[in-house]
Amino acid sequence: MAAVLTTGACSGTAHSDIGGSTNAAYQLTDRTPAPTAPLDSFSWSIFAEPTSIDYAYAFDYPPNQILSNVCESLLRWNPDLTTSPNLASSYRNPTPTTWVYKIRPHVRFHDGTVLTAHDVVTSLRRHLDPAVGSAWATSFRNVKSIDQSGELEVTVRLKKPDSTFNQEMAASPGTVESAATLAEEGKDYGSPKGGVNCTGPFSFGSWNPGQSLVLKKFDGYWNPKLSAKAGQVTFVFLSDATTRVSAFQSGEVDGGWMVPTDSYAQLGSSRAGKLYFGRNTTVADEVVGDLKGPLGDTRVRRALLMAIDREGIVKAGAGGVGEVADSLVTDNVWNGAPAATRKALLEDLPRYPYDPAKAKKLAKQAGVRGQRIVIASSPLDSQSTITTQAVAQAARDIGLDPKIDTLPPEKYSTLFTDPAARKGIDLFLTFWYTSITDPLDMYTSLEAGASTNYGGWSNRDFDKAVEQAIGTYEPAAHAEANAKAQRIALRELPWLPLHTQPVSVFLGNRITGVRPSIAYLYYPWAAEIGARG
Amino acid sequence: MKHTATRALDGLRRLAGMATTLLVTSFLVFSSLYLAPGDPASFLVRGRSASPRELAEIRHQYGFDQPFLVRYGHWLDQVLHGDFGRSYVFHQDVSSVIWSRLPATLLLVGVSALLIAVVGIAAGMVGALRRGTRTDSALVLLVTVGAAAPAFVVAVLLRSQFGVRLGWFPTIGNGTGVLDRLHHVVLPAVALSVTFMALVTRVTRSAMLEELGREHVEVSVSRGTPRWTVIRCHVLRNALGPIVTVSALLISGMLVSTSIVETAFGMSGVGSLLVQSVNQMDFQVVQAIVLLVVAAFVVVNALVDVAHPLIDPRVAAAGSAR
Repeated sequence: MAAVLTTGACSGTAHSDIGGSTNAAYQLTDRTPAPTAPLDSFSWSIFAEPTSIDYAYAFDYPPNQILSNVCESLLRWNPDLTTSPNLASSYRNPTPTTWVYKIRPHVRFHDGTVLTAHDVVTSLRRHLDPAVGSAWATSFRNVKSIDQSGELEVTVRLKKPDSTFNQEMAASPGTVESAATLAEEGKDYGSPKGGVNCTGPFSFGSWNPGQSLVLKKFDGYWNPKLSAKAGQVTFVFLSDATTRVSAFQSGEVDGGWMVPTDSYAQLGSSRAGKLYFGRNTTVADEVVGDLKGPLGDTRVRRALLMAIDREGIVKAGAGGVGEVADSLVTDNVWNGAPAATRKALLEDLPRYPYDPAKAKKLAKQAGVRGQRIVIASSPLDSQSTITTQAVAQAARDIGLDPKIDTLPPEKYSTLFTDPAARKGIDLFLTFWYTSITDPLDMYTSLEAGASTNYGGWSNRDFDKAVEQAIGTYEPAAHAEANAKAQRIALRELPWLPLHTQPVSVFLGNRITGVRPSIAYLYYPWAAEIGARG
Repeated sequence: MKHTATRALDGLRRLAGMATTLLVTSFLVFSSLYLAPGDPASFLVRGRSASPRELAEIRHQYGFDQPFLVRYGHWLDQVLHGDFGRSYVFHQDVSSVIWSRLPATLLLVGVSALLIAVVGIAAGMVGALRRGTRTDSALVLLVTVGAAAPAFVVAVLLRSQFGVRLGWFPTIGNGTGVLDRLHHVVLPAVALSVTFMALVTRVTRSAMLEELGREHVEVSVSRGTPRWTVIRCHVLRNALGPIVTVSALLISGMLVSTSIVETAFGMSGVGSLLVQSVNQMDFQVVQAIVLLVVAAFVVVNALVDVAHPLIDPRVAAAGSAR
């Protein structure tokens, strides 16, 4: 079992399905072959058009995978899931509530102006402004002030110690935009009309709404190691999964992240290019959206999880790629934790092996026989459909009366934003990733009152452990508190973990060089892509 | 003089009718959207835990807190000034969102309309003139299959055969430049028009058959008038009324049915925008598109009305005798 849980941490190793079944093995790749030459341009598919590329609203795969190449943050999240200095050349933490960032000199924005501390202060302060309505406002909930403290220095003061704050400076919350551009563009900032003006290896070129978005190589980029190898990238918005796959096969699109799972076999053996898998922080979970219904009883949630054939879901729904999840986070987000803590955690993690008979008995004790539950699904791809069917089957097996409610994709995404949309929905599927290498990123979203705590779950010990982890910088104590929160969450199961899923990326025959990793949401991955010899 | 005055009055009455239709539609569209479940304000905060005060602020900002009729009046006033408001989702003016997607849809509908009219009418004529032959039975079979084939199935078939396998046509995007755009629109247009072509073929065939069986046609034929002249002057001319009406309605209805085909071929048009906007509760965009489509219907209907007397002199005669 330990081997299964450490999958994300190793690479280039073959993984077979649990129990060494006959399913095709898959490999994680750290780095695709180095490009042999620069490239004029390449095209990339995205499953949805971003509604804005303002970093304050960049909270999902489409805007983030574009912006990661255009706008940079104070720190950088690397493909191996470590962080390193970026626009902040160094930082210190003189007191538990103070973070001081030295701003890198001579960095230029795409319009040629030079990055100053004022730009950093203005960019970060936007998250505090209610009128902006930043999607990342919660990352700044403990921030008291953000001020310039030297010519190239910015100091952030916190109301109380917050161990996630500095880590999040490597993601969207730490993005730096030109203060002048923000003022100039106003409400057009980040829209097809206004675009953005940042410091990344690519600059915003044009945005043809509904169709495509073009980035151009920025020749004045400060970091020679990550300067773009391609002159131009065109992001093409293709919402239909089969359209995307046929565009890969016909060579009309050179590549794309998040390949539909039901095309793994087809694209894995395609002559048009190669399919790669990489490090991820994503876990597929069934979110319990209503804790007042039949799933309000912990025994029923445990019974349901035990009755779900999760190995079957990985095989049939996820193209055999991924592992059954014993936690709501992947093992590689524990990278910062001491080995002893991780070992102890693995040993007494509550586990729910597939056991329909035992599950049935447990549900019977809870007396929920014949009660109706509603499972929301979206016809986005066959993976969601297969998973939902398997969960419905499990519910039936333990005596519940499941009903599947199929919603159009856009409507489905409102389940995550609108409490009214969740009314009457007991379960819904999510692929949840963490934006930093810390389990806390997951567990803070289950604190009482958090907007992402969709079922309104509340556990005082859990909240205490999470708050303790937030306030503790020392790695061992931080990990201990995290581990405590995780144990409670897995005993109580406000969400049901299904399986992990590696990042998938398809590269057509013309291109290579990308590092397959979830860091593509914040790392300038497109800059590393060049021509294949 | 009297005649001209009647005509002008007729025209005015027609215009007033069109305006009333649009006004009633605008009211229905506006009210039905506000009856839809879900709170646009909570959608606008996008997953953040907004305080009641923040939500109230947003409702105020977007005018959700005003009485319904006030909101409607305000909106109508804006629309009459050519301003459809700002999209909640795209953070842009609705008109620019729609304008950027309109050309693709218009080209798609235009090419499809051409296919429907030319292929549909030609096939129907062939069927009627060769009634009972093998060609006719083959056509009837094709029409039955075509009318039943869902657009997305046709789209997938065309894409895999002519796009991926043979590589003759691009499978995604709108294209740039005139020729490239036309190249891009061929497969989507075929996918979109198959069902409609079949319907027009069917209507043309039966309208022609009906005319062919009429007495005056038989008389003309017996008098030795050349066959093509009879078909052109008597059969086709008289059959054209129902054919034009059906074709026009099908074509104007196509404006909204483009969404499936647009999605399948990765085109950005008004159809896919409408579906997306409905699901995202982007009310301003939905209202604008629905009004646009209704306006198109009204205009096409008026054009058909105007065209009818030109096609069929009997209609004009009946009109002036009134």
